Amino acid sequence: MSKYINWLVWAVLMAAVIGLLGWGARPQMVGLFIASGLAVGSLYALGGIGIVVLFRATGVLNFSGGAAGAAGAMSAWQLIAWGWWEPLAWLGCILVALVVTLIYGRFIAPLLAWRETVVKAVATLGFALIILGLVAFLWIDDPRSITLPTDGIGVRLLGLRITATRLLVFGASIAIVVGIWAFLTYTKVGLQMRALANDRDLSALLGVPILRVETIAWAIAGVLAGFTGLMFADLIRLEPTVITFMVIPSIAAAICGRLENLTVVLIGGLSMGVIENMLTMERTIGLSGVRPIAPFVIAALVLLWYQRGQRLTFGGRD
Amino acid sequence: MKRLLHVTPSGWTGFAFAAFCILILPEISGRYWLSVFTSAGCFALAIAGVAFMYARLGMVSLTQVGLMGVGGWVALRLNYAFGWPFEVNMVLAALATMVCGWVLALPALRMRGLYLALVTLMAAGGLEIIFATFQFPNGGTGFWGVKTGSADPFLRPWIATSPEAYLRYVIICAVLGFVFIELHRRLQPGRAWALIRRSEAAAMAAGVNVTLYKTWAFGIAGLLGGAAGALLAGSLGLLDDGTFRASESVMIFALAVVGGARYWQGAVVAAVLYKVLPALLNIWGVDADLAFVIFGVGLLHAVITAPDGIAGQLIDAVRGLTAKRRKEASDA
Amino acid sequence: MRLGLKLAIPAALLGLSLAGQALADPVCGMNNGQAATGEPIIVGGIYGDAAPGDWSSSTDSAAAYFDCVNANGGINGRPIDYRVENDQWNPEAAAQAAALLVNDTPTVAMVGNGSFIEMAVNANTYEEAGIMVMASACAISECFETPNIVSTNQGPLPSNLGAAQYAVEELGAQHIACIGLNIPNNGIWSCGAVNDFMASRGLQGTTVLLNPGAPDVNSALLEAMATGADTILINQPAGLALAILSAAQEQDVRDLYNWIAPTPLYDLSVPAAVGEYWWGHIYVNAELAPLSVNGPDAQNWIAVLDAYGSPDDPRDTFGQGGYLSARFFVDAMLAMDPAQVGDRAAVADAIRGISGYTSDLMCGPFYVGDADFHMPNHAGYMVKIVEGGFEIVRDCYEYDSPYFEPHRALEAAMGL
Repeated sequence: MSKYINWLVWAVLMAAVIGLLGWGARPQMVGLFIASGLAVGSLYALGGIGIVVLFRATGVLNFSGGAAGAAGAMSAWQLIAWGWWEPLAWLGCILVALVVTLIYGRFIAPLLAWRETVVKAVATLGFALIILGLVAFLWIDDPRSITLPTDGIGVRLLGLRITATRLLVFGASIAIVVGIWAFLTYTKVGLQMRALANDRDLSALLGVPILRVETIAWAIAGVLAGFTGLMFADLIRLEPTVITFMVIPSIAAAICGRLENLTVVLIGGLSMGVIENMLTMERTIGLSGVRPIAPFVIAALVLLWYQRGQRLTFGGRD
Repeated sequence: MKRLLHVTPSGWTGFAFAAFCILILPEISGRYWLSVFTSAGCFALAIAGVAFMYARLGMVSLTQVGLMGVGGWVALRLNYAFGWPFEVNMVLAALATMVCGWVLALPALRMRGLYLALVTLMAAGGLEIIFATFQFPNGGTGFWGVKTGSADPFLRPWIATSPEAYLRYVIICAVLGFVFIELHRRLQPGRAWALIRRSEAAAMAAGVNVTLYKTWAFGIAGLLGGAAGALLAGSLGLLDDGTFRASESVMIFALAVVGGARYWQGAVVAAVLYKVLPALLNIWGVDADLAFVIFGVGLLHAVITAPDGIAGQLIDAVRGLTAKRRKEASDA
Repeated sequence: MRLGLKLAIPAALLGLSLAGQALADPVCGMNNGQAATGEPIIVGGIYGDAAPGDWSSSTDSAAAYFDCVNANGGINGRPIDYRVENDQWNPEAAAQAAALLVNDTPTVAMVGNGSFIEMAVNANTYEEAGIMVMASACAISECFETPNIVSTNQGPLPSNLGAAQYAVEELGAQHIACIGLNIPNNGIWSCGAVNDFMASRGLQGTTVLLNPGAPDVNSALLEAMATGADTILINQPAGLALAILSAAQEQDVRDLYNWIAPTPLYDLSVPAAVGEYWWGHIYVNAELAPLSVNGPDAQNWIAVLDAYGSPDDPRDTFGQGGYLSARFFVDAMLAMDPAQVGDRAAVADAIRGISGYTSDLMCGPFYVGDADFHMPNHAGYMVKIVEGGFEIVRDCYEYDSPYFEPHRALEAAMGL
């Protein structure tokens, strides 16, 4: 029963927020805001999924996913500017993000394996700064954009035009959650990852090839970072700093899923995006100006909700 | 009482260093370096707060720069609203920020470790948006006190209106902050914190009010952060939201670890890395983007190689040296 | 080194070769072909280069012009030692840069400043130090409403007004929604002036504010659409403006509104970045002469950059502004008593005395005057984004707004 209470509370709250904020507005306008919010929310969720997969398997909360995505997106822009065939450039984006992430995962992260979780997390911020600095050095600030062919295809839904890119990113976020769930459930590496997430020391004793499994987790995170970066560049904007620090709202989405449940991360991310966009319509007390705060407030409330009634007791891990 | 006021060798070094900073540093610095050192002094105070929480209680706060922003905001707002002396504004700003620290401590009663860090990160993210949206007061009317056009003057302390005097003032405040922490450590709260750090279970069993002392620690970090923010506002005369991003809060924590959270020298090293190193790279003509890269590399390197931070390494080196000398003396 | 730039240069050069004539010898200062060898005169400059923007083109162009002056007799034989600092879009770094250049160095003036933040932090420093700042890339109110700063560019307020005026007079705009940054001295200030202008014409203006911290701009666009406006003024830096335009393209609302923008969208890389969908549909105000006008001073600027600058230096509006500031500064210095050119107070007086300087890069005359506000440049061009570049749709025109009444009074008093 208590399992369903969370869902019930979520559904009621979402309905209340949308109803309250959308009250009196034209339904089409509300629809536009929701569609716009779902796209942003998908990006939050994609970032969050990458963070959670990696955190579960390796114990590293990665702040550098956004920077890797930014490096990838800028490389893709460069390849297109050099006249490469566009699909190759998109592949280049994912490849660059993958390589950047693997460099950290394979060479730097093991050196920090013995430190506390939080220190491991802030160390990735150092790496993010290195990437961001290099990207900003290589590409001086200039207006740039990436367009995908799906931008030109639109679907009319109740009189709204929604581009295929938005549908793509929304669909991809669901597909990725399902795919990773299947991977973790049905493959051997997935099983090993779950074992690592449950108890690292015990798994090591049982002969789980930690290095190999961790490398695979970093690779998944890298590919996700690249894909998210590309989608972000197309849907939001192609600016390395903005893409890099997108990681902070992504962490908010990850928190919604307690850093473990991917489905909740997805739903949390989407809800954050929708609420953030819907806040635009709130002009009486001026919440419209502070709408980007939504992910942080939601994440903090969700954490407090999860911890309700609990007392900090001894024992147990963080 | 005697034990309470006993000054350790490390303490003497600290006072000597402070004396150097107060007496000599302002005399040999131009305006550029005065400005850099003043910023570094403000941040050393803020870093002391976050380092203290980490070293004494193992609690990670990723909101410290956001709290500085709160302190700065309150100081600016009071200055424009009432024109009170700087000290009054600073104390009230520090107290207001302490209350914010307590609010932040609420989740800390229920979680620890990474989750606690993430809650504070969310707070930092929220503060960043609030600062970016409402900006810092510059003499306008209304609650937010923002107007277009240039900012009204901000009153510096009357004893420290010149940049040299203001640097001294900041350093004295920082020293007071360090002493404040050290006194706490030697009194009842310090013993409670030590017990909590070792084992919360043991602390609870021994009748220590864990909730109270954790909240207290957050309050102290807030107090120091708020004072640092007010001092920073005094240094520039205005504040900008760009200084108080969530990423800077994470950075400050990282630097506190790199510097060495257990030692006062660690906070100084961290502040030097945060403010003086970039200024130096700028003087040397290093591209600002590449300075970022150098900074990131240094951060990673220090996190990997120095478990006790750079201060820990330095202290070990000095100890090693003196021990060697003693050994040589006794051998001879 | 910088990949993006390497690509941008051929495009920029292509645009310029249309203008031709880039190979003429530059004309600078005393123009006597003799290198200046006397005691240097120190001049400072502060630019902002970090995320979210690189505004160094103004100091780059000023530096090239000063190099050219130094190779051509300097200021009566004394070379200019031009020292620039990066404020990194960081208020502390901005204060430190001013401390270094104004307090620690005997600079006589600041020239070519380009920043979003430096003027707000340092306006008081400049006033206290009695130094004049001839800025070139200003975006905030402190730049135009303080006694010691004068800029050759217009900033968002006049440029917005110019765009709004064009939209009212030529596009039949009745209601303009101005999407500004939620920064008091930038977006709120400059969009507010548009609202006042619209009210003065009996029309309607609405401000929509975008939080610079917000990743997603679509909601701001939707908010602007929801106001019921017929014209959308994108008062944003180029990167954010592009994001708004791509969101509009996605929803295919191009033909429902007039699209206008101030100068930041006048950038050679913009037509390619916005894409074919927008060609012929966005009207941009240009604060200084568009590159295709190519008058003698514009050609001289290019010649100076070719001879003394680096090929990387952008040939953009802020570069023009930097060149103009440097040129007017040198002209004022050459008109001074040679014994006093090293004295900050005397130089500040000379700069305040500037009146009636002209250039084909600027629509009106340049002057400084002894006032608490300076905005000499309040006339501009209107251009339209077309394939591969910009097309001028309205030649030099004065902006008509109540905001400029004190400026016009000052001009009348100075006899301009």
